[in-house]
Amino acid sequence: MKKLIIAIAALAIAAPTVSQASPQSDLNKMKRHFAKKFPGVKYQDYANGIYAISKSRRIEWESMEEFPPYEPGVEIGKSLFKKYKVGKCFKNGGIGIKQNYPYYDGKSGKVRTLEGDLMACLKRNGINTKNEKLQFGKGKFAAIAAYMAFTSRDKTTKVKVPKGKARRIYNKGKNFFYAKRGQLNFSCADCHVYNAGVTLRTNLLSPVLGQTTHFPVYRKKWEATGTSPLHGFGTIQRRYSGCNKMVRAKPLKPKGGKQNQSYVALEYFHTYMSNGLKINAPGVRQ
Amino acid sequence: MKKFVPFLIAAALVLSACGVQQTHTDKDAAAAITAAEAANKKAKKAEFEWRDTGKIIKKAKELAKNGEFDTAVKKANKAKKQADMALMQAEAAKKVRPRI
Repeated sequence: MKKLIIAIAALAIAAPTVSQASPQSDLNKMKRHFAKKFPGVKYQDYANGIYAISKSRRIEWESMEEFPPYEPGVEIGKSLFKKYKVGKCFKNGGIGIKQNYPYYDGKSGKVRTLEGDLMACLKRNGINTKNEKLQFGKGKFAAIAAYMAFTSRDKTTKVKVPKGKARRIYNKGKNFFYAKRGQLNFSCADCHVYNAGVTLRTNLLSPVLGQTTHFPVYRKKWEATGTSPLHGFGTIQRRYSGCNKMVRAKPLKPKGGKQNQSYVALEYFHTYMSNGLKINAPGVRQ
Repeated sequence: MKKFVPFLIAAALVLSACGVQQTHTDKDAAAAITAAEAANKKAKKAEFEWRDTGKIIKKAKELAKNGEFDTAVKKANKAKKQADMALMQAEAAKKVRPRI
């Protein structure tokens, strides 16, 4: 009997719970789920978001891409990138590096995002971000990030999650993704896994696969808030903030000039779910 | 009938006076607001705060300041309930599992 109890206890410790499954196994499960949900959609096409699953919306998007509305903003992003000497802070001069973000930095024990590194770079270069109106999420800042992502187009997303602390951060992000929050009691997964492809109000819910490839994004909704070519840009964490608001949860804000660590963890998990897909940022979305 | 009219007017006056009278005091409102704030602080710390809870507490404070204690208590209790439910979500999140 004693042996049996020990054996059961050992099994309980050794057997991983669902949340502790490996990132690769999580991605495989996700791919299988969507292969069943949308048979016929090729994995690479998920990089195009809802345009992979809606023919009519795809026609609309393709016509928008004939004269991409983000192009003037990307040009501004490029000139700001040069003006603030951003290239000297990054590998390869900051060109074609988006696919490796977010990554776990063993030295600091933290996950680093492109936008987090960009903000740190601006400060290191002595830029007064407040005076220059460079803030996380939108405007000039998002345009620089959009330019950097633009130079990474067609590179394959390859986020790595080594064992140890990186795995814990990944699991924190995964937990955020599946946890219900806000007055409407919705999780990210409720919309973008279980109900992807469903029309909610007038919006078609996009599948989680490929959601990160087109960020920073150029949204028509944000574009309408002003006249500058930069108004349409937003980073993925700006989008998280918007999604949280929609389910009536209070968005998590950056603190002390740094991104919120829960959103960073979410971005880590979220981007891993696009591993193997090509970067196509900035994408045009509603 | 003539005798009945003054009685009706008097009754109406008494009833309307009852409607205005507050059943809660400033202390009740303050206590309800403090409880709501404490619960919402916990929800915020857990990163599960709801979008409008803070706004409802703010409104409750304004109402209490204007002497509308009943509505202030009602609002504060609503905010407290929201914060409690947010904390329940935070607790449920610890055991969440993907359904795929």
